[in-house]
Amino acid sequence: MKRLLLIITFSISPIVLWAQDFAFGQYSLDEINMQKYSKDTSAHAVVLKEFGKTWLSSAQDIPLIHEYHAKIKIFDSQAFAQGTIEIPIYKIDNNRYEDITNIEAVTYYQDENGQVQKTELNPKNIFHEKKNRYWDVVKFTLPNLHKGCIIEYKYHLETPLRFNFKTWIFQSDIPKMYSEYEAHLPAVYNYNVSLRGPYKLTKNNAELEKDCFAPGGGVSCDCSKITYIMANIPAFIPEDYMTAPKNFISAIYFELSDYTDMNTGAKMKVTKDWKDVDYDMKHDESFGGQIKRSSLMKDRTQSVIAGKTDELSKAKAIYRLIQGNMKWNHFTGWGSEDGIKKAFDNHSGSVADINLCLIAALNSAGINTEAVLLSTREHGVVNKLYPVETDFNYVVAKANIGGKSYMLDATDPLLPFGLLPLDCINDQGRVMNMDKPSYWMDLVAPEKKSRMFALDLTLQDNGKIKGVMTTYSYGYEALDKRKAIKKFNSVDEFVEDFDTKLKKIKILKSEIHNLDSLDMPLSEKYEIEFDAPANMSSNRIPFNPYFIDRIGENPFKLQERNYPVDRGAMYDDKFILTLHLPKEYMVETVPQNVALAMPLQGGRFLVNYEHIEDGLTLSHVTQFNRSIYSPDEYPYLKEMFNKIIQAENTEIVLKKK
Amino acid sequence: MICNAQQNYDAGLIPKPLLAYSSAVVRYSDQEIEVKDLDNTIYHIKEAITVLNKNGDKHAEIAVWHNKSNIIRYIKGAIYNAAGKPVGKFAEKDFEDASAADNSALFEDSRVKHYQPAIIEYPYTVEYEYEIRSKQTLNFYNWEPNPATGVSVEKSVFSFTSKPDFKINYKEINTPNKAVISTSAQGLKTYAWHLDNLRSVKYEPYSPNPEQYLTMVKIAPEKFMYEGISGSFTNWKELGQWVYDKLLLNRDAIPVETVEYIKQLTTGISDPKLKAKKIYEYMQHKTRYVSIQVGIGGYQPFLAADVDKSSYGDCKALVNYTHALLKTADIESWYCIVKSGSRKRSFMADFASMDQGDHVILCVPFKNDTTWLECTSQTIPFGFLGDFTDDRWVLACTPDGGKLMHTPHYAATTNVIRRKADFVIDDKGELSGTMVTAFGGTDYDTRDSFIDESYTEQLKSIREAYPIINMDIEKLEFTKAKSSDAVTTENIKLKAREFAAFNSDKYYFKINLANRADHVPDEVRNRSTDVYINRGYVEEDEISYQLPAGYKPEKILLNQTFDKPFGKYTVSMHLNGQQLVYKRKFQLNDGTYSKDSYQDLVDFYQSVADADAYNMVLVKRN
Repeated sequence: MKRLLLIITFSISPIVLWAQDFAFGQYSLDEINMQKYSKDTSAHAVVLKEFGKTWLSSAQDIPLIHEYHAKIKIFDSQAFAQGTIEIPIYKIDNNRYEDITNIEAVTYYQDENGQVQKTELNPKNIFHEKKNRYWDVVKFTLPNLHKGCIIEYKYHLETPLRFNFKTWIFQSDIPKMYSEYEAHLPAVYNYNVSLRGPYKLTKNNAELEKDCFAPGGGVSCDCSKITYIMANIPAFIPEDYMTAPKNFISAIYFELSDYTDMNTGAKMKVTKDWKDVDYDMKHDESFGGQIKRSSLMKDRTQSVIAGKTDELSKAKAIYRLIQGNMKWNHFTGWGSEDGIKKAFDNHSGSVADINLCLIAALNSAGINTEAVLLSTREHGVVNKLYPVETDFNYVVAKANIGGKSYMLDATDPLLPFGLLPLDCINDQGRVMNMDKPSYWMDLVAPEKKSRMFALDLTLQDNGKIKGVMTTYSYGYEALDKRKAIKKFNSVDEFVEDFDTKLKKIKILKSEIHNLDSLDMPLSEKYEIEFDAPANMSSNRIPFNPYFIDRIGENPFKLQERNYPVDRGAMYDDKFILTLHLPKEYMVETVPQNVALAMPLQGGRFLVNYEHIEDGLTLSHVTQFNRSIYSPDEYPYLKEMFNKIIQAENTEIVLKKK
Repeated sequence: MICNAQQNYDAGLIPKPLLAYSSAVVRYSDQEIEVKDLDNTIYHIKEAITVLNKNGDKHAEIAVWHNKSNIIRYIKGAIYNAAGKPVGKFAEKDFEDASAADNSALFEDSRVKHYQPAIIEYPYTVEYEYEIRSKQTLNFYNWEPNPATGVSVEKSVFSFTSKPDFKINYKEINTPNKAVISTSAQGLKTYAWHLDNLRSVKYEPYSPNPEQYLTMVKIAPEKFMYEGISGSFTNWKELGQWVYDKLLLNRDAIPVETVEYIKQLTTGISDPKLKAKKIYEYMQHKTRYVSIQVGIGGYQPFLAADVDKSSYGDCKALVNYTHALLKTADIESWYCIVKSGSRKRSFMADFASMDQGDHVILCVPFKNDTTWLECTSQTIPFGFLGDFTDDRWVLACTPDGGKLMHTPHYAATTNVIRRKADFVIDDKGELSGTMVTAFGGTDYDTRDSFIDESYTEQLKSIREAYPIINMDIEKLEFTKAKSSDAVTTENIKLKAREFAAFNSDKYYFKINLANRADHVPDEVRNRSTDVYINRGYVEEDEISYQLPAGYKPEKILLNQTFDKPFGKYTVSMHLNGQQLVYKRKFQLNDGTYSKDSYQDLVDFYQSVADADAYNMVLVKRN
């Protein structure tokens, strides 16, 4: 996978009269008459111009101020949704919240007589919705949208989160002709600036602003006014089965590394290098402070490890205790808001509450356990050039036992010991040790999504086929299967439902083993019976062996692929059919064997027929050896499925002797 | 008030039959409504639910809806363990308050307070109660004691109390017990219903509308107050009159320029229907749908003049605006309240209440040619309702009062997808040719939904729409529906490499390449409800294949008919030299059929799925 991350460097050079915000309320006839966007004729709308500006105010409490202004051409009614603007507003608490003011919006359109008309947004029609504890949304919709209209709007946002310099997202769901961002960075604030995505800046410039920042006390400092411009930005079009769009969308990010306190002159580090982060995290009450509470967990784990002598069985017992005792409240993050004690005693907590509790508990039993910060697949790939704490949204445990390490997440009660949820298998994680410097580790799933599926069938004289269907599920397949079974109130209810789903195939008897032994493969065994596919009186019986679990349709139908394909887990599936025939029958023809391999060990597909004394066996193996495939591999992936589906259509022919 | 103070929540006391197929059991549910005044109704809700396993957790999540006119007075609750011993308490401060607005709405004043107890030992019982004060008396909560699938009920009670001068009408649907009516010493009148021991039900496919088989009590006031507006009704005529007089009247004035423009637009058109069509298309072109619901705005449309100015509105606003535009051309039209959705739901003939609808459409009562208009879509053809509001009873609010009217029924034979294709399969197994498909009736928007998309997007959607392996589209065209007999036509020129898989000197391919029915409904043991088919349709496919030279079909060609009251399927294959013609016709008839016919329906679909899955095998001619 390409790394779409680069660091921007700039030097300050004085330039007179650099670009600035464009005037509000102006349009050109060319813009009004524009019929299509020539660089992307499929676009329903295009951003004509967009300007943003962020600076640290010198006002009380030093709020960060962000101004936004955009002018958008709407070609047809498919893009009318662009005319509804939603701006999320963050609330820290009742006293500290983001505030939006000076909203102005206007629509220009041609009326029935071809005259250009202008309608302004009535401020009465700006709505403020309280979404939840942390978020509000300010919403408005532009009046008088017509095919070919131009909309323009702007607003002013003040935020108390002055260390979170506003990210500028160049790329959106519609193309942009011109996007400009002006960042005013006080000299006493140092930022790491990074540009993500495949596109380069068209222009990038910096100039010096004298005495621009004076937050009181009679002191002031200069700023760098930096301008980032990108022109002709294509729309971002997401694809199915893709990893986080954030990994690919062109945007510019600012991470504050340090600033100078202007009253004391002291240099305050915000993020600088991992050494500082390690120190901060270790002393952070919501992180290191919780991990250190092993004495608290000691009492709570004593009973489950009593009598156990080796570390592995102790670790497993503690893992099961936390897994069974705490319910995940679906919040992610790496800091425990109310502390692990409260979470443990209330049986409910976030990812951090549960897994920090697990780490403390394992350490309390003398098992060397570290915390691993990571970013889930949905959340995107982390920046590894310098530490960005907000890049991480998850924490898991790494228990080091007998020279091996076991990755543990106790938020899912059905996860076996040592398996992380698939969403956590994302590039690299940062191992946080309370005594040693932190370091990167690869996040690799120790197991695949893997299954052994066997059918041992006998064609009977009465025209029925009877036999045994056995499935062994491992790794992520076992996890998925256990979840499917546990959706029912009992195993019997599951089997009853499965029998219904199998339609013409009837289950006569069933056995399911290791449903609750999560560290063992899940095994299912069903005695089944169904009618042979053709009338037994005919001399030839065509038989399609893929009557259960066909793929049927290629999941990959597009000609091209721009972004990597996220297949979830590595996949390994083996299907074995043994078909026994009555004496008077023989196998007339079987389809050809298939042996197909993707380049660079990407995957394999094998079909192998063999004759046995009273019939035949078929072995059908499908392997996908990567969880993420690059766009270059897409054609091979697609062709693998093509060949699988072709094989599914072939038939065996049985014949009366 | 029923006293539950000494309730015993020992899970062992739950009657055995209530445990089957259950993940939770409602131990009791008590819903009390008391009208104190025309603008003051108190809801007192109390419930206890025992959760048997993890799957039942979701039923213990408590959600209390509220807004500016429905104010929570208090919420409190407690948790009990398996033996029924109290182990914890919770209160309103433990609830999270969130917006409950529909995501597609620009603004809605609707909120929910919710709380999910976190308990790790099963079974456990959650008992809670809350009170809400509602500032109106137009709508009351229904009593709907039947729980979700997988939940059983030990006891459920419902009561309505008011002063004797507050009169109500009520409707009992499938209630095992009639209302018990009593008067208290203070002179308050109470109506009460109860129901015991409801077993868990399983989901039954093709079940009828809930009012056909579930218990429900609906209550409507005679005199009421809503957002400061008073009224009274005992039937649809009076309710429709109130809507007309209090919510609609004098909201249809439009600026004189627009009046002039409409006059100009319709000059020279004498046929009122053509005039209406012109005006409707102008409205479609001018406006778009934006939903804003606050206070009386939930029932009252924006002024037509405001829509004229802003060019947007919700269903009420756009219907009222269209009505206003038609009025300038002296065309009468009626604002009609409807229950929307693909599943057809009608207003009750014998019971009027305001809560039965959720959408508004416009009826234009031309003589002998009543025309219906959906005003929220920019693309739907004039006079066509589609599957959102078809074939159901709706309330027309006219100057002469309300009346129930029935929207058009699109019969199976109207909802037709007709496909004709001509293909050649070459010796490499590649398929090439053209395929033309017409989508009619309520099926028209299966293609209309992306007809205005860019060509690139259309190609993507079409690739997803067909299961044809390696389909490569060389040309794609759509023809738009523009009249009330809506038909969209799709014309594809395509190629598909390795369509016929070549293996061991044989070709294999799916004879029904475009339209395989592979879903067979699940069998249901001891079905309790009738079989209901909501909407009928017809599919007709005629596909011709030129087979590779020197090859012929190996198996017997299909020639089958399955004929049932609810549907008919015919499939045939004819070989004429190297040309193989495949014909398929599938018809499903809407209607209600006895529950005994369900197995027939399953078998019918199974036969269809088997026939559709027919795998063509070609072998060398000798």
